[in-house]
Amino acid sequence: MQQKIVEFTNLLRKAGVRVSVAEALDAFMALDELSLDDRELFKDAMRTTMVKRSDDIPTYDRLFDVFWSGFHDLLRAQLAQAVSGLGGDFDLDELLERLREVLENMDVDLSDLAQSLLGMDANRIEQLIRQAGEAAGVEGIQNMLQIGFFSRRMLEQMNFEGAAGELRELLEQLREEGFPEERLQQLAQLLRAMQDALRRAVRGFTELELDQQNHDYLERFRRESLAEKSFYNLTEEDIRKMREVVERLAQKLKAVVSMRRRRQRKGKFDLKQTMRRNLGHGGLPFELVFRQRKREKPKLMILCDISSSVSNVCRFMLQFTYSLQTAFTKIRSFVFVAELGEVTSLFRDNDVYNAIDQAMDGGDVINPYTRSNFGMAFFTFWRDYLAAVDHRTTVVVIGDARNNYNDPRAWCLREVQKKARNVIWINPESPGAWGFGDSVMDKYLPYCDLAEECRNLKQLSRMVDRIVL
Amino acid sequence: MFDTVDEVQKRLLDQSYICNKNIATVVFLASKLHKPVLVEGPAGVGKTELGRVVARALGLSMIRLQCYEGLDESKALYEWEYSKQLLYTQMLRDKIGEVIEGTTSLKEAAERIASQDDVFFSERFIVPRPLLKAITSDSPVLLLIDEVDKSDPEFEAFLLEVLSDYTVSIPEIGTIHAKHLPLVFLTSNDAREMTDALKRRCLHLYIDFPTEEEELSILNLKVPGMDERLAREVVSLIQNVRKLDLKKTPSISETLDWARALIALNADRLEPELVEATMSVILKHQGDIRKAQAELNQLLMQKTAEARAQAPQAVDPSPGGAKKSVLH
Repeated sequence: MQQKIVEFTNLLRKAGVRVSVAEALDAFMALDELSLDDRELFKDAMRTTMVKRSDDIPTYDRLFDVFWSGFHDLLRAQLAQAVSGLGGDFDLDELLERLREVLENMDVDLSDLAQSLLGMDANRIEQLIRQAGEAAGVEGIQNMLQIGFFSRRMLEQMNFEGAAGELRELLEQLREEGFPEERLQQLAQLLRAMQDALRRAVRGFTELELDQQNHDYLERFRRESLAEKSFYNLTEEDIRKMREVVERLAQKLKAVVSMRRRRQRKGKFDLKQTMRRNLGHGGLPFELVFRQRKREKPKLMILCDISSSVSNVCRFMLQFTYSLQTAFTKIRSFVFVAELGEVTSLFRDNDVYNAIDQAMDGGDVINPYTRSNFGMAFFTFWRDYLAAVDHRTTVVVIGDARNNYNDPRAWCLREVQKKARNVIWINPESPGAWGFGDSVMDKYLPYCDLAEECRNLKQLSRMVDRIVL
Repeated sequence: MFDTVDEVQKRLLDQSYICNKNIATVVFLASKLHKPVLVEGPAGVGKTELGRVVARALGLSMIRLQCYEGLDESKALYEWEYSKQLLYTQMLRDKIGEVIEGTTSLKEAAERIASQDDVFFSERFIVPRPLLKAITSDSPVLLLIDEVDKSDPEFEAFLLEVLSDYTVSIPEIGTIHAKHLPLVFLTSNDAREMTDALKRRCLHLYIDFPTEEEELSILNLKVPGMDERLAREVVSLIQNVRKLDLKKTPSISETLDWARALIALNADRLEPELVEATMSVILKHQGDIRKAQAELNQLLMQKTAEARAQAPQAVDPSPGGAKKSVLH
């Protein structure tokens, strides 16, 4: 049993659930306190001690079923099938009853396996199969092609052929004892079915084992790689899953930011305040007061290119910034293709995902079905919104700067940079491609305080981190 | 303490708290293994209540620490009582004069005072805050650390010592060990993820919204005298509302409030107008109300149609109904 639990712990770890040694020990201690007969209790006890993140609960539930119940159910299904396959007019109970009577008067010596097959003892058979699995080293299975090999090896380990021989002999003996021929036929049929069921169960056991070894790598690999997957190759499904990942990254960032702010808050010693605060103590300086250094939260203006090539970056950037709303005093968001329009109000009236979807569709303020024109968008921004930019404003532009050979009007960006605290450009293309073809990134580059490639979530969250501070 | 999981369930029920087997198992293990429990789940599923009820069931007194942003050691653990120390030094000034009487050098005088300074850094001058109180209490207690996710990440750091060893270290005095191991419940709304170090030391319990049957039995328990059919309608409607994508999902307490409101209004059926009028009890955002309205009307229509189809075998007068007429 202990061995099994350790195995299960390893399985959880492989699936990306973090289980420490201390927690596995807790699980053992918890199981000591409980009876193991109640499967639900067992499951709850293991979960509460080893799985500490609610996100991991579905993974745990699935693995638990595969690991603890999977084979259990499979074996019973096989045995039931063996019995039901025998045809209608078959009185199993009576047959077994008669058999037992006869056997009591006979001197037969049967192996464990033969006995449990004869008695249809599912628990014992399960035990035997598990033992054989361990002896055959099934947990080392790596691919489909080995299923046959390991199944055979398990059957050898349980001495299946030997048991089958014993059962054949038993039938002979029964015939000599004068067991009625009709019943004998039935018994032979039953035993054949049981043996088939056993063979299938053993095969099923190896298949399940293979499943366990494999299928969680995939899921975990997917989740991890999602953060590094290029925005260009995201599927609809990915985008949905990504929400959660972004949410989690944003939460993490929030914690870090709050901690950083706190640490910086303690400023210089404040004599005046200290004296006043300690008047009550007769002027003895018991409590020291430090001047609080106020750190201004940045204002944020985000300009999103929503042409299809960049829209995913914008989507996640918007999600990031709005999840981090408390880190900014104000966020204003704009979308552009050629025209530029403000979509801030969308985020006020809708929940974030809805708002993002609408914004990506032009948000009723611009026509999304035109060709990118950064020059015109910047000109509009300069003309209409420059007044709103001040020394605390960080302006973030998200776009690939592919301008379709229009006039870049880089001077607009220069004017913006003069007034703003920072201009940050997030470009999903790699720097090598900047300035080639219709990319006018090189024209804008001198007026950006920071311009970086951002083609996956990891890079994006790093950028957000810089913006927040 | 509890002896079996079933006993937990039963004794919590005695305190009118309905819990499923999962919750009972965790509570049982916590009391057996002396491990803190980290309770997570959406707002309003009875996380805090669980702590309170367990305390009552076990006859423990409860010490509650409400976490908030900026909560620090001096508010959670202990604080030196400066003014009292100061007062003592003032009053003991003459005594201090006596102590250093007869010394010849400054060094000697300082030595003498130094040999006495533990007077001022003794337990006498410590104001125990909830964590220290729980540790030093003479009778066993239940410590409820509420909304631990609202605290700052660094707050967790000094929780760790308390939670894993049940000790508190005060540099000037030393380590104080617990007289009785307290039962600790931490609740979290998942506003931020707790650190692994903290989670490792705790049992984890995730309480989700109750299933329809669970919620119905909670409703029957907490709002006795409610018409059986009305209760059923209320619960199934709430369950449906929870499936919508809302800003704030209605919690159990809101179900109860709503049920009480309906009783106060003397309702015996959920009519669309009635639902519309009382919607603000379960939904707290204008946007949510708008969103839910459409869904609900449709749902109610459907229900009414169904009810009409089965009209002949209508209501048998339930005991709840009778009681209500007495009430009003």
